Amino acid sequence: MRMSKWVIVAMLALMPAVASAQNKKVTFALNWVPEPEFGGIYEAQRGGAFAKHGVEVSIQPGGAGAPTWQLVASGKADFAVASADEVVIARSRGADVVAVFTIYQTCPQGIMVHASRGLKSIKEVFDPGGGTIAMEVGLPYGKFLQQKFGFDKVKRVSYDGGIGNFLADKMFSQQCFVFSEPLAAKKAGADPQTFLVADAGYNPYTGVIIVSRKTLRDDAKTVSAVVAGLTEGWGNYLTDPKPANEMMGKLNKTMVAETFAAAAEAQKPLIESDDTKANRLGWMTLQRWQELCKQLVDLKVVEKSPAAEECFKNPEKP
Amino acid sequence: MRRLLNGILPPVIVLIATIIIAEVLIRALGIAEYLLPRPTAVFKVFHEQYPDLLRSLWTTAEAALIGFGCSAVFGLLIALFLSTSRLVQRAFYPYTVFFQTVPVVAIAPLLVIWFDAGLKAVAICAFIVSVFPVIANSLAGLLSTEPALRDMFRLYGAGWWATMWKLKLPSALPNIVTGLRIAAGLAVIGTIVGEFVAGVLDVNPGLGIKVIEAKKYGQTDVVFAAVLTASLLGLLMLAAVNFLGWLLLRRWHASEQG
Repeated sequence: MRMSKWVIVAMLALMPAVASAQNKKVTFALNWVPEPEFGGIYEAQRGGAFAKHGVEVSIQPGGAGAPTWQLVASGKADFAVASADEVVIARSRGADVVAVFTIYQTCPQGIMVHASRGLKSIKEVFDPGGGTIAMEVGLPYGKFLQQKFGFDKVKRVSYDGGIGNFLADKMFSQQCFVFSEPLAAKKAGADPQTFLVADAGYNPYTGVIIVSRKTLRDDAKTVSAVVAGLTEGWGNYLTDPKPANEMMGKLNKTMVAETFAAAAEAQKPLIESDDTKANRLGWMTLQRWQELCKQLVDLKVVEKSPAAEECFKNPEKP
Repeated sequence: MRRLLNGILPPVIVLIATIIIAEVLIRALGIAEYLLPRPTAVFKVFHEQYPDLLRSLWTTAEAALIGFGCSAVFGLLIALFLSTSRLVQRAFYPYTVFFQTVPVVAIAPLLVIWFDAGLKAVAICAFIVSVFPVIANSLAGLLSTEPALRDMFRLYGAGWWATMWKLKLPSALPNIVTGLRIAAGLAVIGTIVGEFVAGVLDVNPGLGIKVIEAKKYGQTDVVFAAVLTASLLGLLMLAAVNFLGWLLLRRWHASEQG
């Protein structure tokens, strides 16, 4: 009896080791806390899509400004979430990172204004302008808007990550993820109206999953497996976000269940496109990368553009 | 001349040696530029972008100097007020600690709501971060007047004003200067942190904004150049305080003699 108890304990202790011997372990760094923008990643982990393709993914949430491409380039993380413009910047600085999946086909970055101002387009935020606009420093799309519309008719301040200033001032506008800050503002009783930066002509893939060239070369099988897992995870999340939302809600207690549900619903049209319908979720095209590379040179964000073909790869099916 | 050389030479040698070792090590180990830039890369940034850096330096210096000036004036006034009686001290001193413990990053967004982003809000950040050492050191100085001298002033029937002006303040000066020294460096830190949140992104962005922007673009060399420029500002302010201390103390206090 005593003996058999120990055997069971030993077997239980060994089980995870056995499981992990079969599944390849990889780390996955996020650039923000668990929120619907990563829903499909958590769903792939929760629903077993990663396990099905033979990978065991350890998801590591990050804070604002988490240096994800540096983590991947220096080998501290295997996979990470970044944006397409970061990939171009990283490559131009000599970091060999490659995008293999994109969460958003349409960049969800936008400008949130008070609907009471009656603005018709993103242009009117800057011209005739007026009031204050909060934007993070060093955002390529900030430079794009500046080049296109000029910032001299509006006072530009740093974005602090909140909506307090927006609620307090009717002439205040700010950067936003169209499925995030506007929902919070509405909940707080404001009348937000949003304009997508993509509609103004700057639309980089956002929420791209990056790996290092070395991983892609030496372990293409794992990359394919993770991408297959992501494709399934996102597909399932789009159909039913509830289970993954509950899982993320336990990790991120600052967001309530109804906000999770609302954000998951609001981001749907940005994730699917004609390209994803023709190919699969997360698919990227050379033309879009070429356009982005050209824009970033025009905006003087990078001096010399890296080759667009080397910025991304749609991995083969495993 | 010889004394000057003896003073300047050792730190300069250390600096040059550090730069050479860093350059050689980074090259030898093949460390990527975006992780740690070579000193020569940072020099190149200084060389190519110094007009930009100077403009940013001025924006930051303005806020840091205003914040530091307010800390000096209000810190000293608060310390004077607290030194008037034990009761006043007991009642108010705990609340001055607030300034030291307040996480400025957390309240900077509120400062933007109250005062608008820009010079005013940033200077207030610098003030909040740098005022406490002035209060604490000045108060310690004001309270540690030599008892024998205090008794003598009392014996001669000196009034409150004369005691303060002729005895307490002069004997507190070394402590006040120490407080200002600490505040000078902190004011620069407070300004940079303030700029992260409350800076205005116009044609002359402060060094704090320069740091964030360069970080976003993976320009680690520019980050280092901006950070070094900020420490240069701190050093200059510290040197100014040291000079002031020397002016005030050289005739009578041991700390500035010999």
